[in-house]
Amino acid sequence: MKKTTKDILHEKLSSRKRMPLYNPEALQTLRQRFEHWMNSTVREKDREHWMKTPRTVLGSDIPREMLYTPLSNPDLDYQEDLGNSGQEPFARGIHANMYRGREFTMRQLTGFGSPEDTNERIKFMLDHGATGLNVLFDIPTIQMYDSDDPLSAGQVGMSGVCVDSIEDMALIFKDIPLDKVTVSIVTHYPSNTAILFPMFLVLAEERGIPWDKLQGSVQNDITLEELIRSGPEYMPPRDCFRIQCDNIEFIRRNVPQWNFITLNGYNLREFGTSGVTEIAVAVANGIETMEEMVRRGHNADSIANRLAFFWSPASDFFEEVARIRGVRRLWYKIMKYRFNAKDPRAMWMRCHVQTSGVSLIQQEPLNNIIRSAYHALAAIFGGVQSLHVDSFDEAYSVPTEEAALLSLRTQQIIQEEIGVTDVVDPLGGSFYVEALTNDIEQRILDEVDEIERAGGYVAAIENGELHKKIATYFSNQQREIEDGEIKVVAYNIYKSDIEPPPINVFRYPEGVEERQKARIGKLRLDRDNGKVSRALTGLKEACGKRKNIFPYTIECARARCTEGELFKVFKEVFGLWKPPALW
Amino acid sequence: MVGKIKVLLSKLGLDVHNRGLITVARQLRNAGMEVIYIGNALPKEIISAAIQEYVDVVGVSSLGGAHITLGTPLIEQAKREGVKDKVVFLMGGVFPPEDNVILKEIGFDEVFTPGATRDEIVSSIKKLVSSKKRS
Repeated sequence: MKKTTKDILHEKLSSRKRMPLYNPEALQTLRQRFEHWMNSTVREKDREHWMKTPRTVLGSDIPREMLYTPLSNPDLDYQEDLGNSGQEPFARGIHANMYRGREFTMRQLTGFGSPEDTNERIKFMLDHGATGLNVLFDIPTIQMYDSDDPLSAGQVGMSGVCVDSIEDMALIFKDIPLDKVTVSIVTHYPSNTAILFPMFLVLAEERGIPWDKLQGSVQNDITLEELIRSGPEYMPPRDCFRIQCDNIEFIRRNVPQWNFITLNGYNLREFGTSGVTEIAVAVANGIETMEEMVRRGHNADSIANRLAFFWSPASDFFEEVARIRGVRRLWYKIMKYRFNAKDPRAMWMRCHVQTSGVSLIQQEPLNNIIRSAYHALAAIFGGVQSLHVDSFDEAYSVPTEEAALLSLRTQQIIQEEIGVTDVVDPLGGSFYVEALTNDIEQRILDEVDEIERAGGYVAAIENGELHKKIATYFSNQQREIEDGEIKVVAYNIYKSDIEPPPINVFRYPEGVEERQKARIGKLRLDRDNGKVSRALTGLKEACGKRKNIFPYTIECARARCTEGELFKVFKEVFGLWKPPALW
Repeated sequence: MVGKIKVLLSKLGLDVHNRGLITVARQLRNAGMEVIYIGNALPKEIISAAIQEYVDVVGVSSLGGAHITLGTPLIEQAKREGVKDKVVFLMGGVFPPEDNVILKEIGFDEVFTPGATRDEIVSSIKKLVSSKKRS
C-alpha cells in the first residue's frame, strides 16, 4: 500500500534531533512535588475526575486535565514545536508581527435580493469600515438554476443575491473598484466556480482591469458540493474534483493574486461535525488536490502558496484556539515533508473564519451576540487572517442592516479596543494550550490517515463513509442537546418564562423574482444567440475531451450565457450521481 | 390508537440545508414511524408522492427563505388534489417569528423552528394524525 501522510511524517520527523526545553532534573523534582500535591491538596473527588471532557456544541469531546503543568508536555522543544512567529513550524503565526503588521480583514458576508440590493448593502458595509467583500449567492444561483427555471420559483434572491449572467455580476459590483478591494466570491462548488468566476473575470476585462491586479478568493471546493449540500441533482465526485482542479490550474496561470481554492471546513462543521473532523476533511482534500496538481505537472510551491482554508470557530473556546494553531503546524509539515515545498509561503495555513451559525439559537436572541463574540475572539487568538462574525438574528433570517453592522462593530471592538492584537500568539506557551494543540494536531492527522487508508478523499466521498460519519455525529449531538448533556443557555438550562423583547427581523425586498425574470428574458432576446450556442458547444467538447474547461466557460461569460445553460452542459456530459442516503 | 404512521419528508425546492430534516427523519424512524425521504422536490412532486405512498403526514423543510413562497403552492396543490384534510402538513425550518402564524393561516397543521425537540415533534404528529383520522 502507498505510504500515507502520517507514515511519511513519521519517517521524516522521528529521526530529527530534539532539544527539550525543560531540564530533566527540574522535571524530576516537579513530578515528585506534583504527586505530593495531588495526594495532599487535591480532593479525592477531583483526583477521580481529573480528566473532564467538555460537552459543547460542535465539540470534539477531547478530555482535559484539571490543571496543566510542564508535565503535560515535558518534551517541549521550543524551536522545533513552536518557533517564533513567522518562522517554521509557524505554530505561533504565519507573520512575525501578525496583527501589528496587518490587521485581520473584516469581511462580512453580504448577499440578498437583487444585484442592486446587494450592491447597496456592500457599499453600506464599506462605508462603515469593512475592509473586504464577501459575496453570497441565492440558492438557485448556488444550485446553478436560472431565475426563470421552474425549480427556482419562490427562491430568487433569498439567502443570497441572484446571478444569472455577467450582467448581474456587473450590477453587484457597480461603482466598486475591483482592483482596490479584495473580494471573496462565495462560489461554493467547483461547478459553479467554473461558471460564476468567469463572469467576474470578464467583468474586470470589460472595465479594463487586468486580471493580475485582482485580489480575492473563490471557494471552489468539492466538499460542499458532494458531501454537505442537499440538491436535486449531483455531479459525480470524480468529475467535480476534476473541475475543482481545472479551475485551480486556470486561475493559477491567469489570475496570479487570486486564491483559487478555499479548502472548506466551515460548511462541513456547520452541517454537523467535530472540530477535528472539520479540519481533517479539508486537509485530506488539500493533500489530494496537491497530488493532482503535481501530477498535472505543476510545481508544488506555485500551487501551495495560493491555497487558503475556511474554518468555523464554535463553542469550546480553547479547542478552537488550539486547533487553528495545530493545523497551521500540521499543514506546514505536510507541505515541507510530503510535498517538499521550498517557499515558506507555500507552507502557510492561511485562513478565513466565520463564527459558528449553528451555535446560535432563537431563544433570547441577544445572547447570540455574546456567543459570536467569543467565537471571534478564539479565532483571533488562533491567529486567523480574515473574519466574519455571524449576526444575532440569523436563527431567524439573513441579518438586518442593524445586525450586520453590530457584527462589524464586534470585529472593530476586538481590533481597536481590547488590546488583544498587540501581542502575537498571546496564549502560546500556556501549558494547557500547548498540550491541547499537540493533542488536536495528532487527532487531525489520525483522521486524515483514516481517509487516506480508505483510498483517499474522493473515494471516501464516493463510498459514503464520510457522509455516514457526519450524519451520525449530528444526530448524536442533537440528542445530547435535547437531553441537556450539552448545555445551551436559555434553551436547556436557565430557561425563562419572560418573553424577550421582539427583535427586528429581516424581510426580503418584494418583486425581485419578477424583475429578475424580466431581465433574463430580455437578455435572451438581446444577446447574440449564435455566439451563445457556439460557446456552449465549445464547452461541451472541452468537457468530453478532458481539456481544461475554464477557457471555455470564460467564452461563455463573454457570450452572455446564463448559469443554467452551462449547468445543463455539465449534466449532459458528466451525468448525475446519487449520493448515499444519510438517514 | 393509530397504526404505524407513514411520513413523507422533503426539502422544499432547491434549499441546500438538510441537516435538520435528516435528523428529524432519523428521530421519526426511531419513534416507530415509516419514513419516506424524497430529498429536494417542488410542491407538485411532493403532493403526488404523498398520494402515491398513502402517507399520513407530509413534512417539508425550508431554511432558505422560501417557506411562504413555496409553502403556499404546496397547500394549494394539496387542496386541489383533495388531500389537505386527510394528511397532516408540517413545516420546519428557519423563519421570522411572525411567519409561524402566517404558515398556520396558509394551512400548515404545525410549524417547527430550531429548538423543537424530538418529543415535541413526535407527540405533535401522533396527536395531529389521530385528530385528522377522526374528522
